[in-house]
This record gives sequence, C-alpha cells and structure tokens, in this order.
Amino acid sequence: MHGRVKVRTTEEEKARKEKERQEKLKIFKHAMQKIFHKRKESELDKELLELTGKVLSSNPDIYTLWNIRREILIIFAKTYESEELSQLYDAELNLTEYCLKINPKSYCAWHQREWVLTTRTDPNWEIELGLCSKYLKFDERNFHTWDYRRFVVSQCKPPLKDEFDFTTEKLLDNFSNYSAWHYRSKMLVELFPDLEGGRPIEDSHHKHELKMVQSAAFTDPDDTSAWFYQRWLLGAVRMDVQVVVYVMTPSKTTVAFSKPVDQSVVDSRTRLFHNNELLNGEWQSCSGNHYDVLWIFKSNAVVSEEVKLEFQMEDGHLQALPSIKMNETKYVGKSSISFKRKYSKPVVEELNNQLESCRQLLAMEPDNKWTLLTTTVFLHCIDAKKYHKEVLENLRTLKVIDKLRAGYYSDLITQWSVEDQLVTDYATDSLDYKIKFDEKIISLPHFQYYSHCENVDLSNQDLDSSVLPALVMLQHCKTLSLENNKLTTLNKFPQLNIEELNLRGNKRLLVEEVEQFKKNNKNCTIIF
Amino acid sequence: MDFTTKDVNLKPDRPTTLLIEKHSDYLAKYGTNKDDYEYCMTEYLRMSGIYWSLTAMELMGESHRMPKEEIISFISTCQNKESGGISASFPHDPHILYTLSAVQVLTMYDRLDAIDVDGVVEFIKSLQQEDGSFFGDKWGETDTRFTFCAVMCLSLLQRLDAINVDKAVQFVLSCMNFDGGFGSKPGSESHAGLIYCCVGTLSICKKLDALKVDDLAWWLCERQLPSGGLNGRPEKLPDLCYSWWVMSSLTMLNRIHWVDNAKLEEFILACQDAETGGFSDRPGDIPDPFHTLFGLAGLSLLGNSDLIKPVNPTYCMPQETITRLKLEPQILKKV
Repeated sequence: MHGRVKVRTTEEEKARKEKERQEKLKIFKHAMQKIFHKRKESELDKELLELTGKVLSSNPDIYTLWNIRREILIIFAKTYESEELSQLYDAELNLTEYCLKINPKSYCAWHQREWVLTTRTDPNWEIELGLCSKYLKFDERNFHTWDYRRFVVSQCKPPLKDEFDFTTEKLLDNFSNYSAWHYRSKMLVELFPDLEGGRPIEDSHHKHELKMVQSAAFTDPDDTSAWFYQRWLLGAVRMDVQVVVYVMTPSKTTVAFSKPVDQSVVDSRTRLFHNNELLNGEWQSCSGNHYDVLWIFKSNAVVSEEVKLEFQMEDGHLQALPSIKMNETKYVGKSSISFKRKYSKPVVEELNNQLESCRQLLAMEPDNKWTLLTTTVFLHCIDAKKYHKEVLENLRTLKVIDKLRAGYYSDLITQWSVEDQLVTDYATDSLDYKIKFDEKIISLPHFQYYSHCENVDLSNQDLDSSVLPALVMLQHCKTLSLENNKLTTLNKFPQLNIEELNLRGNKRLLVEEVEQFKKNNKNCTIIF
Repeated sequence: MDFTTKDVNLKPDRPTTLLIEKHSDYLAKYGTNKDDYEYCMTEYLRMSGIYWSLTAMELMGESHRMPKEEIISFISTCQNKESGGISASFPHDPHILYTLSAVQVLTMYDRLDAIDVDGVVEFIKSLQQEDGSFFGDKWGETDTRFTFCAVMCLSLLQRLDAINVDKAVQFVLSCMNFDGGFGSKPGSESHAGLIYCCVGTLSICKKLDALKVDDLAWWLCERQLPSGGLNGRPEKLPDLCYSWWVMSSLTMLNRIHWVDNAKLEEFILACQDAETGGFSDRPGDIPDPFHTLFGLAGLSLLGNSDLIKPVNPTYCMPQETITRLKLEPQILKKV
C-alpha cells in the first residue's frame, strides 16, 4: 500500500464507510465465487469474459483473472472469424487501457497488453507507440511505460535515431527526467561508438553530450538526474583489465589483476613461462570466488631462471610482462600502472572548459554540493596528480556540506590517496609498503597491487576489523604492522604465512582473543 | 519544470522509539477478521502477506503468535498438483512470486514436508528460458524479480543445480545500466527494488564481483534524502521499503556506511503508527504488513536494537534460519 494518507474521521462517518465497504465486498465475493465456479466447470465463455472484466476494472492486479481471460481468448481464436476476433482483441486492449488509468503501474495490465499484441495477427504498432508517448506525458517517469515503449520498439523497429531524438525532446522539455537520460545512455553507445579509438563513445558525440548535460545541470543544480549521466560520461573511457604484479617463489605463485576477473579469463588468457616454456598448472582464486583480483597458480614447476607472463587483453593485445629476480628464489614482474583516464584531446579540452564554468558557479554558490562534487570529479579526471591536494580539500568540505554521505567521501579520500602513492611506489623495486601520506586510511583499496610486498606497514591508521578479510592479498608478506589502529576483533583474520605481526595500540582488542590467536598461529611472532 | 519538494518533513511528535509490542499486536490481529475489506481484497497476494507477517514476527521473536498449523495446511492447499507451482491463495493460479513466499515460510517453520518439493523444483525449472531469464508463470512475463525468486527458492531447497545458474547470472548482468544499477529486464531503468533482486541473485550465485561496485553503491547512497529516508530512483519521494532494498544491497556490497545510518533510523521510526502499530510507507500514512517487515528488517540491518534479531541481507529472513540451512550467500569483502 503506497501513499495512502491516514485521515481522522468521525465515528459516524467511519460506520457509513464500513457499511459501504461491506456492500462492495459482498458483490466482489459473489463475483469471484461465480468466476471460479465457471472456470471449474470449464464454462470458458463470453459471460466469464464479462465477469472477469468487471472485477478487473476496479482490481487490475488479480493476476488469475487475466489468466482466465487469456484461456478464453485462446479458445475463441480457434473458432471465431478474423473480424470478430479482431474486435475481441481491441476490446481487450480497451480493458487494459481502462485498468492502467486506475493503476498505471499494474504489471498485469501491461503484460496483458503485450500478450494481446504478440498473439493477434494484426497488431498496430504505430498506435502503441503513440499510446506510450501519450502516457509519458501524464507521467514521464513511469518505468512500466518506458519498458512497454522499448517492447514496442523491439517489435516495430523504428530507426534507433528516432528514439534517440525522442529522448532529446523529452529532456529539452524537462531535464529532470532520469528515465530519459537512462534510455539515452543505452542508445548513445549503440549509435555512436568510437570505432577507431576503442572508447565507448565517439569524440564529437561525447563532447556534445557533455555540453548538453552541463546545460541541464546548470539549469537546476539541485536536480540530481543529469549529474548521474555526467558522472557516467566522465567514466566513459577505456579501462582495460591488466595484470599489475605477479610473484613466483618455490612455495607460491600469485598474479594480481587491476580489476576482478573470473576463472575462465584467468584459465584461458593468462600464461606463465619459464625459459620460454609454458608452465602447466591450475589457477585458484585467492579468496575462493569465481571472480577475484588475486589468483594463485598451483604448479609443480621449479623455477630457477627467466620467468615471463603473458595476458591476452580484452581488445586482443598481448600484455607481456618479464620479471626481475629479487633474490635466489623470488621473481617479481610489475607492470607500469596509471590511474589516469585516457580521454581524447577534444574531450579533455571540453572538460577543461567545463571545469572553468564549474569554478565560476562555485564562486557564486560555494556550498552547493553538486557543483563542488562535479568540480572535484573534473579535477580528478583531468589530472589526478596535479590537482590531488585540491581534490582532497574539496572532499573534506563535501563531508561537511553533504553529511549524509560522509562515509562515501572518506572512502574516496582513502582511495584517491592510495592511487596517488601507488604510481610512485610502482616506479621502484621495493618489497616494502608504508603509507606515505598524512590522511589516515579507513579501507584498503587496490590492495592487490601490494600482494608482492614482504614488509607491510599499516600502522597509525584508522583501520577497523572489517578490513581484515582483505589482508588475504598479502600472500608474500613476512612482517605486517597494524599498530595503532581500531581493530576490535581478529575474528576474520585470514590464513597467512606471516612471521611477525604487530597488533600493539589497538585498544579495544581483547587480550584473551590475542592469546588464542597466538596459539593458533605458532609460527608467527605476535607483538601486542 | 517541477519545483515540488521531493522529500517529507518529520514532525516533532513522531515516534522516536521502537514500539515493538504494538507491532506484534498489529500483526497478530491482522487477518483474524476474515471479512475485513482490506484483507479480502488482497487475497491475490495472500501468500506474500503471510511471508511478510511471519518474517516480521520472527525478527521480533514473536512468531508464536502466528497460527502455524493453519498456515502450513493453507500452503499445502495452494500447491498446484499439475505444475508443482504454488499460488497466492486457493483457487488462484501458481506463480513464482508466491512459490518463493511459500518456500520461505515453510523454511522458517522447518516444514518443507508440507509440500511436494520435487514439484516446486520442476515448476521453477520449467520457467527458465533460453537466454537464462525466468518467466513468472506459463504466461511469459519476464522480470529480474523472477530470476531472484527462482535462485532464492532453489537455494533454500538446496537444489540450485536444477537450473542453469551461469545463464541466469548472464541474464542478470545483461540488465546492468550506465549507473551500475539494474532494472526489470535488459534496457530497463535502474530501480532500487530490482537492484536488490539482481544483487541478491549474484550474492546467492557468488558472483558479486561482476558488479560495477563503486558506481552502484554511489547511486544507492544518493537515494538518501535530507529527511533521512531513501527513495528508489532519482527525484522520487522517500518510502520506507527502500530502507530494505537499498540497505540490503549496500550491506551485500559492504558499503552500508555510505549512508547516514542515524538519520535513516530516525526516518524508519517515524513511519511507525503509534496507535495501531505497524509501519507505513511514509510518516502519517496507513500501515501494512509489507512496510512493517521492511521497517523492522531495515532496523535489523542498522543493528542498534536488541529487540530485533539479525536479518540476512540476501534472503530477508532471520539469519538463524539461513545459518541452520548452512547457506552462505556472498557478501563483498571490504577493501
């Protein structure tokens, strides 16, 4: 029951209403009894059609009654002349239209309409498309109507560009139409893919959409619809999955990917070589899932010389990654990484223009959440390194002016700070990891990038016990410090081969639990 | 242009504490008068109504107030001998929505013996299509809700192997949108309720990593409005049931801290009817069992009340039931 306001009424009025309802109920019950009786007796006739129609006119969600009507229509279709049948189907469409007036969100009524049109031999799709446009004028956000429109379009197949233009029309009418932005996104990538550059959207259209969405957003900065579309456009770049680091030791071989990949991708597209000979083995997800960012290679091979990895990327390119011999038995191969978004030149120019406009708008309304967030995302997308400080400052402000989502902004601060450091860390051959920025981290984003590290220092952060499962990425770690964090339990601490673990300064961690943990991990020196 | 405010104001005299006894009374009384107008007019969804009420009662530790034996024999009468599917009520037609509700209820009661389980499995199996999607019944409506019903139902029966799970997952993923969300079928707009169904399907099938997690979770946390309540799509009014659809999804994605939990709790409590008990969609509206369940389940996810038992975010059933069945739906690791 949605949107029914409770109203205070007098006792008298209450009694009158109740009497009215009991009358209605009597009629309803009688009709339902008769309907089910006739059905049981297989009296699938016009009378039953009429009875069910009457009840549905005021209760369009009684699904069984629509089923009964379909059963009747199927029987009639076998014996009726085509003209008579056509009239019956028209009447059925009229009934659904009537029902949709009472409840425009009735799943049953919409489905009946679809059924009639796909069952009859003479559907008129033009009328249906017109009906959709008409209904969208009453309620431009009714997702049933939009779904029905897509169904009609799938049947009568008008040029896709016509539908794209329809969304333009709807949006120019009212930018606050998320349904239209959504529909537009689907067609944009289909109509205008970037065939040359391999990006999702062709440059000039990408630019055009950015302009359109900006004028929408500036028309009413508090309306959220356009901002989501804009955020998507900003993310519409190539983000190929690649291998970021792999480690081979006599006891364990791991491969970390930039994003989660599923078993089949690892099995079919990742290959390890020793002296140019393919190694045979089995891939296992580090945390036992179908998808994972870190995979373990189980093999009997003993490696003593040159190791190499090849990964077949989505676009067919081969990522070939040689390794460095770190010590007698350890080989590490690291890819060059970048979190920079690869926009085309014209798009970058457009982004810079829009950044400028955003800054102007922000000067006028410094506390507008959407303007500040957009400015921040622009800065990050255009040059994360260059604008890093400003981005963090903005995110800290957002935590205050958009308090509801403070947790989101805090995670972004951690994530973007980690990304900033990662690029520097990956330029060295160190096996140590230590947080090098002032902002305290609360989560462990991109942690698989550090899966090769032996000495991991996460001390003096704001990590709580919910991050413990992510430590499973530290498959090659020897010493780990979690000193001065906010751990409360070790319950979800993963199975690792750590030699030294520092848990000091986690004030809410119980001594008993740590003692038990020590007993279960005898090979590890635990500092507490 | 639409300049109406798309939010509600919480009144100073709103309920601010959990009125648990009232809710228990409300549900215990609901449906005792078989001639009640509202009750009769909702016969076509009775089975789900029982699931909402029983689950709410279970979460409050009050399920002993429900007529257990009556419910179990009612469910038995609703199973269709021919197809194996279960209807909302006798003599309505079987449908996957009510088949799931029935299985959920019997699972909580640990009384699956009351129905022909093989029949249910056959029914669900018969509804899977070539593209991996599911019909709701033989009449051919397709919806991601039905995929979730199929997968959840079979997992409760420990019979997931009866369908093509990979194809079901592929179908769900084909419904993913630019914002990372999901709608009812490929091409449909994102909607928090359907996002719950799709994320829930992936959780049961352990494929949550296939999501665009950060995009989706950001969209979900943007559902919170200044009143603290959540809406289901951009520029829509808040509604209590989204406290469940959004928060359960965020729990599975391990991003529940991206919304203001305290403000949401305030909104949920404000949706209680202090007179009759029960929760409504928005403060001041008429309560119903549907919103009563999702209000309580939402509070359970927020975890601040000892009066409500832990709920499982994937199944919307008491965690103790899911634990008893040894089911382990996936929850994303926090990173």
